[in-house]
Amino acid sequence: KDKSAASKDSAPEGAAKRQEDGAETPKQQLLDIIGNMKVEVSYRKKLQQLKASEKKKQAMNKLEGSDSEGSVPQGIAEDTQRGKPLNPELVKAASAVASSLPRNKKQTESELLAQLRRHEETTDKQKKGGIINIRNVISEMTIKRQSPAQRGARISGRVSLQLDEDGQRMRRGRSSAQPVDSRRSLKVGKRLNIFTKASTEPEHALKTVSSPTIWDLEFAKEVAAVTAQPPRNGFEEMIQWTKEGILWEFPIDNEVGMEDDAEFHEHIFLEKHLEGFPKEGPIRHFMELVICGLSKNPYLSVKQKVEHIEWFQKYFEEKKELLQEI
Amino acid sequence: MAAAALGWALRAARQVLPSPCPRQVRSYYVDWRMLRDVKRRKMAYERADERLRINAIRKNSILPKELQEVADKEIAALPRDSCPVRIRNRCVLTSRPRGVKRRWRLSRIVFRHFADHAQMSGVQRAMW
Repeated sequence: KDKSAASKDSAPEGAAKRQEDGAETPKQQLLDIIGNMKVEVSYRKKLQQLKASEKKKQAMNKLEGSDSEGSVPQGIAEDTQRGKPLNPELVKAASAVASSLPRNKKQTESELLAQLRRHEETTDKQKKGGIINIRNVISEMTIKRQSPAQRGARISGRVSLQLDEDGQRMRRGRSSAQPVDSRRSLKVGKRLNIFTKASTEPEHALKTVSSPTIWDLEFAKEVAAVTAQPPRNGFEEMIQWTKEGILWEFPIDNEVGMEDDAEFHEHIFLEKHLEGFPKEGPIRHFMELVICGLSKNPYLSVKQKVEHIEWFQKYFEEKKELLQEI
Repeated sequence: MAAAALGWALRAARQVLPSPCPRQVRSYYVDWRMLRDVKRRKMAYERADERLRINAIRKNSILPKELQEVADKEIAALPRDSCPVRIRNRCVLTSRPRGVKRRWRLSRIVFRHFADHAQMSGVQRAMW
């Protein structure tokens, strides 16, 4: 097929007859191959749709030219000689398909080629249209000519940015403001409609925060239950246990549960809590012993110690009448 | 928007409910004696502070004796199950009151059973 393609490509450039003769043998080979191929019904329909237009056009061209109803490859060669945009391979394939089909070969071939031609025209139109659109876009843009002074300023601005990364950002702000003013403003000109406007996100975020419905919670629980796969290995099992609280976190922190924010002096100097007691007597003696014991206790928090002392205070308050009898 | 809501709800759900454990969970105590023992432990835990303080007044050589006698009566008035002496260290699996090793909280029979099946970490048959 490559040989035939090469021959076909050279056909429109060079002479006619000589090439026809030379290219016939590979063409014939190809045609034989394609003719032997079995064509399915669906494929046939598609081909007909694709190549009918091409065929029609080729028929028209043939009528315009000299020999049309004659041999097919000669017609193809003539078409290619006339410099039509049809791909010679496609034409060849269309002819071979037409020959393989049971219906009127010439008609089918003409239809197929007409279809091909239409297809090519549309693709060309699209390409040209694309080019035109790009031209529209580029026409808006103009090459900005920088004066060497400005260029130097910009480079120095960048350098200063690198130097002042750790320090202040003041210089960058100043240097960027100047080039922006010198450029054209951004909102002037025709809209190109390349980008779509981004949706407003913060509103949505506010909505979600304010309404955590029960259904959302239930759904979340369901999702968590489904996604919680059983652990694949020992490491994942340990991770799960740590999350549940069965396993401690390593390195072991001795003060995990305790959140004592009090300083040491609050633990030791507890005499300020003894103001409610009488200053002399056995009770005072007893309470001083209690305080001595509490100050040496590292296991209780300050709150618990204060509660201890207050309990005793309450207790002795209740027993005051008894104590006065003594 | 939906993703953010889902993420927030997931975090909340995780905080409220820990992940359900698929392991076996014992929902009943082995027998009624074990249940009573559990109740005694709970009560003892609740009243431990009071008992300590009243005992501190009682076991005293400084305070007057009358005060101590009053304290005696008070502590006797507390519910019976609040004293720690009534707690019995039963076997956790079989509720056996005797032959329980403290370190494993298991009776000797259960301990032997697990040790022989190599389900007790670091426990080996003694031979010397």
